[in-house]
Amino acid sequence: MNSDPSSAAVPETIVQWLRRSSSLRYTVVLAFLLVFAFLSVKAPGFLTVSNFANILLNNFTILAIVALGMTLVLSTGGIDLSVGTGIDLSSLVFISLVSVHQSLPVAIGGGLLGAVATGGFNAFLIGALRIVPFLATLGTLFIGESVQQLATNGGQPIYLITGTLPSWFIYIGHGSLFGVPFPLWLAVALMVAYYLLTERTAFGRNTVALGANPSVAWYSGARVRLTSAIVYLLSAATCGVAGIVLSATIKAYVPLSGNAYLLDAIGATFIGTTLHPEGRPSVIGTMLGVLLLSIVTNGLLLIGWNFYWQQVGTGVLIFFVLAMSFIGRRLRG
Amino acid sequence: MIESKNQGYSGEINVDHDWRRSVAPTRRFSVIWRRINGGVLLRAGSLMGFALVIAYFALAAPGFLSVGNIANVLEQSAILGVLSFGLTIVMIAGGSNVITGGIDLSIANNLGLSAAVYAATLKIGQPDLVALGLTLGTGLAVGILNAIAVVGIGILPLIATLTVANICAGFELVITQNTVLQANSPFLTVLAGNGPFGISTLAYLLLMVAIVLIVAIEFTPFGLRLYAVGGFRDAALASGLSVNGYVAASYILSGICGSIGAVLSVALLSGSSTGSGDMLLSAVVTALLGVVFSRRLVPTISGSLLSVLFIGFLINGFQLTNISSYWVNGVEGLLILFAVATTSLVRRTEA
Repeated sequence: MNSDPSSAAVPETIVQWLRRSSSLRYTVVLAFLLVFAFLSVKAPGFLTVSNFANILLNNFTILAIVALGMTLVLSTGGIDLSVGTGIDLSSLVFISLVSVHQSLPVAIGGGLLGAVATGGFNAFLIGALRIVPFLATLGTLFIGESVQQLATNGGQPIYLITGTLPSWFIYIGHGSLFGVPFPLWLAVALMVAYYLLTERTAFGRNTVALGANPSVAWYSGARVRLTSAIVYLLSAATCGVAGIVLSATIKAYVPLSGNAYLLDAIGATFIGTTLHPEGRPSVIGTMLGVLLLSIVTNGLLLIGWNFYWQQVGTGVLIFFVLAMSFIGRRLRG
Repeated sequence: MIESKNQGYSGEINVDHDWRRSVAPTRRFSVIWRRINGGVLLRAGSLMGFALVIAYFALAAPGFLSVGNIANVLEQSAILGVLSFGLTIVMIAGGSNVITGGIDLSIANNLGLSAAVYAATLKIGQPDLVALGLTLGTGLAVGILNAIAVVGIGILPLIATLTVANICAGFELVITQNTVLQANSPFLTVLAGNGPFGISTLAYLLLMVAIVLIVAIEFTPFGLRLYAVGGFRDAALASGLSVNGYVAASYILSGICGSIGAVLSVALLSGSSTGSGDMLLSAVVTALLGVVFSRRLVPTISGSLLSVLFIGFLINGFQLTNISSYWVNGVEGLLILFAVATTSLVRRTEA
């Protein structure tokens, strides 16, 4: 309080102090630092370079890619529950094409096309039929599950035989460039692209306007339906990239495995909103949210919590960060 | 106390998406449509669709309409039915807007956790009464947590209950270590057995819960106020209703429904089961589909009962006519889209 001369004259209440937007904005940063400090002391081997490389590669990359698409969707005021379908369908097509020895462009193109089909269906339902995004993407999720079950005889995974894989396939999942793993390069490239798209283009402004107030956006001449259609297409395509990286890493297609990223992607985006001055989803905020989640998952593992307690731990953490975020929003009015 | 909507970015997910509702001029078409009353048409159409599906399977699958098979469908629908009743109550009090309105995504994981609690309590040698108490207590606790998150803290219901769902799933894993806990007890044997006329006790229980809730929600002042709170929040506030209290009550009731479903599930499967979280989407579908079975296109318990039976008969018919069960999810997905597209069309033209 004493560091701020303007408020020195009249002592402010706690509520007023919290209301000054900056204090609550940094809840996440504070949570982040606390978690970091706690893990550094408690978790053996947490503060090592190799562990951070491990966090970035194993916990961060795929969730980060999925969360980018989710950020865009959430910033228009919609939601995409079918991210798992996008991941799975791209993985299914990609692995199937690789298993019959198709070339790199065909396999990747096919994988992305599988995901874009999901997004196109969403875009049609939301943009053309004007179905509420929550329900439209829920329907897509269901239909996607059926498609996968029918295509895999009820959910049989497809494993690739390790010896016969082409070198480019190994490179996508396990290669590295200048000592940094390829998947991470990919995630960073997408991050930059999404940052530029959301913060530096007219399209990005339109998505934000749409999220703030669709009617006003419509009145001011934004192409509301087209914008939301494109947003769902982009989200699905991004999930397609995640699906390709995921299946190249594990060298297999496991049906219905993409849904695991849904809650974490939504959670990370909402954690990120606490960082933004207007409290809206942003690429940088989301990435910090993803980083927080991946550090917690990794740290709890190092402390020796088993997988089951980890899920409780991350759930409780997301709950508290969300609670802080919404309390802060309420205080700001 | 009237809050205006959409002033600046409030972080609310805008489900309404109907940016043109206020813009579109009144068309003659909509006037005629209003006179025909699309809601009644839709309801009649949905009931007719239900009847047609039953008629088709009755012809295609001999024995489909036998008492034994109908009882079987009722038994198989009991768990999903109770879950969708819980969701329906939350949707009534929260309003028709799916995200800023009411939804309880934790109900299926609540069932999983509660079922694990029941099985684990029996396993350490406690009697049924203790297990039952702890199970219902678990459901109550989950409901209260949701109520605190949504009403107390003000987190969006969708996000809040999704997070609670994850916490429930975590605790369930901690209790069961991702295995199936067997459970056998005198009470469970009664539940899993047959009641009068050789019809499963679970079938009777489904109808009993449905009747109690239909009376409580559709024929009492409490139910009417729930609708008032969900239908027009500001009006309910202005007329002195404790809006927050009713919304909180709806989440708590939904939590209890989750644990009742858990007891039924433990009885049916003689133990806890992994992967009960998968029931969530089916429960959401049945609760949403229930809307097209009500005259005013609002969530009702009786509508949800009809829709749960509709889906139950559909799955049963698939099995009897040897259609692969892999189609079930897809058909449910199409049913959601159908229900939503038609109700929003009717609402739009009536508005």
